[in-house]
Amino acid sequence: MSSDKVAVIGGGPGGLRAAQCVAEIGGEVVLVEQRDFLGGTPVAENYAGLTPRGEPAQPQIRAMIDTVTAHRLVEVRLGTELAGLAGEPGAFTLTLRGTQTAEAQTVECGAIIIATGFGHFDPGRSTQMYGYFEFPDVITQADLEMMLSEHKVLCPSDGQPPERVCFIQCVGSRDRQIGNEYCSKVCCGVASKEAIEVRQLLPDSKVFIFYIDMRMYGYWENEIYWPAQEQHHVQYVKGLITEVLPKGDRLLVRGEDTTMGRPMELLMDLVVLSVGMEPSPGTREVARLLGVKQNKYGFIDAVGAPLDPVSTDREGIFVCGAAFGPADLEDTVSSAAGAAIRAVGYLRSRPVTAAN
Amino acid sequence: MIETAARHDETDAHYKVPDVAGYAEVPHEEKVRLFEQVKGDFRFGDYLYGCYECGICVAACPSAKFYDFSPRRVAQAAAREDVDLIYQQMQEDIWECSQCFSCLRCPRGNNPGGIITIMREVAVNNGLASAKQALVGYSRIIYKIMSSGTQVSPDMLRSDAFPDWGPETADVADNLDLWRRALPAETMHTTSTGWSVADKTLVELYLIWLETGALDMIADVDSGLHSILLELMEERLEEEGIQL
Repeated sequence: MSSDKVAVIGGGPGGLRAAQCVAEIGGEVVLVEQRDFLGGTPVAENYAGLTPRGEPAQPQIRAMIDTVTAHRLVEVRLGTELAGLAGEPGAFTLTLRGTQTAEAQTVECGAIIIATGFGHFDPGRSTQMYGYFEFPDVITQADLEMMLSEHKVLCPSDGQPPERVCFIQCVGSRDRQIGNEYCSKVCCGVASKEAIEVRQLLPDSKVFIFYIDMRMYGYWENEIYWPAQEQHHVQYVKGLITEVLPKGDRLLVRGEDTTMGRPMELLMDLVVLSVGMEPSPGTREVARLLGVKQNKYGFIDAVGAPLDPVSTDREGIFVCGAAFGPADLEDTVSSAAGAAIRAVGYLRSRPVTAAN
Repeated sequence: MIETAARHDETDAHYKVPDVAGYAEVPHEEKVRLFEQVKGDFRFGDYLYGCYECGICVAACPSAKFYDFSPRRVAQAAAREDVDLIYQQMQEDIWECSQCFSCLRCPRGNNPGGIITIMREVAVNNGLASAKQALVGYSRIIYKIMSSGTQVSPDMLRSDAFPDWGPETADVADNLDLWRRALPAETMHTTSTGWSVADKTLVELYLIWLETGALDMIADVDSGLHSILLELMEERLEEEGIQL
């Protein structure tokens, strides 16, 4: 049976915006979310401020959620995951199951938008010599974001505020050894934003960012990078840290200060790993169940990119946000709106068949 | 900031210090004091924002073509508040800058040449060995400028000072007044100054040198020259009936 309904899989910023946009142009939506709450990674990881401007994240995501849940054309199914796909474009049947109850449900829909997002690179993996699981004071950007949301930056080892903090960029990105050859796009901006917040909370602290090159595209340049350097005196040093070693009760980071042409070994109290993006487990699983093509990294292949960044290789199935590759929030909601209009446009332009 | 002192104290076994021999080592506190003077200069905030480390200043710098000199490193050392490197630069690098300000090409609006101006002033004010050495060849010029208000004067053209200028140099020097009169412009007939300087101008200049502390700047660098100039200026001002 053909259906005018759009199924959106994933209730993060991308899925929320896709659902909102489909509904606002009069389409019926079913929004499927594996977790028991909407908002995706920003809510699950308790983001403090949105990059680049640092406005409080939670109220803004909450407003997106409220817009979607209040809309009469949107049906939200929480704690629900995809189990299978049948039918054909324009007349799909999705099999769903409850994550708690394992109870099977079916949904008829004409088009599908995948918004299953990203997961963080696991800094304990393979070639990493940063001691994430060894030293309590080696943390990730997400861990720091949690602290920032509580307005407290303390070393996990002793509960004291750190005097010297550093960020190590490109952890799990741009690395042939690891297999993630791509840039994760957001970590430079997030590190700079977090560095500013650390300097504001701890004015006596010294904050370093060790990088390959700072990718502060567009307005991130003047909105985060320059203020971090010029007003907050964050030290940007071009050169990656090769390893983190214990030294007394502090951490020694070893690298090269490349532009000064000298090796460096500096003591830190807190080391923040700027971990990159990988496809979330949900993205991998949904891609497999829907039979859409993935690229070599496991992200869903946006086959028509760059001018059509939301179509997959399967008719009637679209993708948005970080499910098709590293994306910041602006990219995510923009592509979500694009996916919504393409999905509705697809349904409304189908040839009328006898079954209708 | 990357303070090497912290590295020396706490990780001395690991940190590799570049070879900076060639001038007297001073205690860390002295380096900090000198840098505080640089950083405390009212111009410093307008001369250094943040450094991309892109090297465009080096590419534009004529001195960098001929010397082991990099305006980028000067800006970086200041940005990183690396007092060891800044001290090294005050003893070496800053005197290789020609102060042409080609480095103002900086996309961030930095002024590495301006930072060097400040570093030179601090080096001079504190009597650093490099400042003394750099200024040795300039004592005649300093004397000329401060005493007469003009820089190079015709009577400085002597064959012993310019042996490579050919045999005519001696004749010109011996008959300087005549040669000068052969030139048409009235102001060019001076021999001991570059041009005629009005009495009123000279008195004003002496007041400026004394009141701004410009004369004091050379006290540590060349005390003999300083006392000659001081005597000259005070005597002249006394004749004018001006008390400081």
